[in-house]
Amino acid sequence: VGAALPVDVLVYEEKTLSAILRVISSGLVKLWSALTLLGFYQNRRCAVRVLQTSPFLLALSGNSRELVL
Amino acid sequence: QVSFLIPECGMLPEVLKSTIADFGEYYLVRNLSIHELVTHEFIDAFVKKGSCYALTYNTRIDQDNTAALLPNGKLILSVDKDTYEELGLQGHPSQYSGKKAMRYIITIDLTDSGFHPDGKKHNRVLWALKEKKPLEFDFLLAWYNTGAEGSTLMSYFSKNQIQALKPKITFSTLRDLQCPALQSNELQGKPEESCSTEELFEWLGAVMNQVSLDNKSSSFLSTYCCPQPSTIVEKAFLCTITGFIIPEKIIQLLEQLCCYFGEPKLAYWLTLTVHGFADSPVSWRESEHGFHKGGENLYNFVIFRNLDYWLQMAVGTNDDCPP
Repeated sequence: VGAALPVDVLVYEEKTLSAILRVISSGLVKLWSALTLLGFYQNRRCAVRVLQTSPFLLALSGNSRELVL
Repeated sequence: QVSFLIPECGMLPEVLKSTIADFGEYYLVRNLSIHELVTHEFIDAFVKKGSCYALTYNTRIDQDNTAALLPNGKLILSVDKDTYEELGLQGHPSQYSGKKAMRYIITIDLTDSGFHPDGKKHNRVLWALKEKKPLEFDFLLAWYNTGAEGSTLMSYFSKNQIQALKPKITFSTLRDLQCPALQSNELQGKPEESCSTEELFEWLGAVMNQVSLDNKSSSFLSTYCCPQPSTIVEKAFLCTITGFIIPEKIIQLLEQLCCYFGEPKLAYWLTLTVHGFADSPVSWRESEHGFHKGGENLYNFVIFRNLDYWLQMAVGTNDDCPP
């Protein structure tokens, strides 16, 4: 997918193993599907879970679903 | 969540510190039956005196039943089809439900003159929520008291599992930050002089998410860079407050941020961003809010030195346009 569709890795946090990716809106479904179906990397099992998506980068800085009280 | 960013500021002025410290508490009540919010004791003690806010905690607007109490006294219930049919209260299908309505919205005006105790309306609602289909949720509660005497939320719900919580506050000072140059009357930006509102909005998102702003053209990881023209600011102050925060407190913060420019400052502008709850049944005014791929409903103020301001509002797919 990365070759056919330009994807930016805006930020990667090693501690939480989470990243923010940027893709053109017409490519969202392709990218999301590719991430979901990614099961192996270099012969190691892995899984990617999409936590939040938004057309606005600012919206990603606050996620009320992560509010734990 | 409320955040503000002040360029050219290393330490927060005392008056802003005390405004934030004064944000007050909000409450989490576990396993509260929703009919308790419809009783006249509650309405007289809290809804009619000041502004009372409630929102169900840990419920997803696209999956679960959700409820919210607005400061104007309206109780909004967003329920799935089965619950709606079992409750038997009058509502309307959700705007974002598609041809086969799977979600319904019931609005009950607690301050309506027809909603007096022993009135038919009140009795029916109480019966539906208490006996026909009892619904229980964890609620986030807050109350803006306009100085009236009487009980507090803590004492009223002392028999339930109520917890008082303080909003979580984080401060950070960002060093050598690239800030876009802005001109308040140039919304589209002016080439070589200032950046557009969209560029500022995206830049602010980058700063809040700690995205690196200076990418070289050879970098194959990311093509994002700070919009030009920009200046490098030695330090900027970023504060984030997370919790169930009421508009009255945000207005106080906004007023204090405007007063920041009362004295001469190096900064040309500062920003205040407010994020709404993704699972709230309403966004602006009483427009229905839904969660499609995202539940964003946020607004951002850019306040300039001369007290001009930009207000940017953003909503998700299942939302009406903001006013």
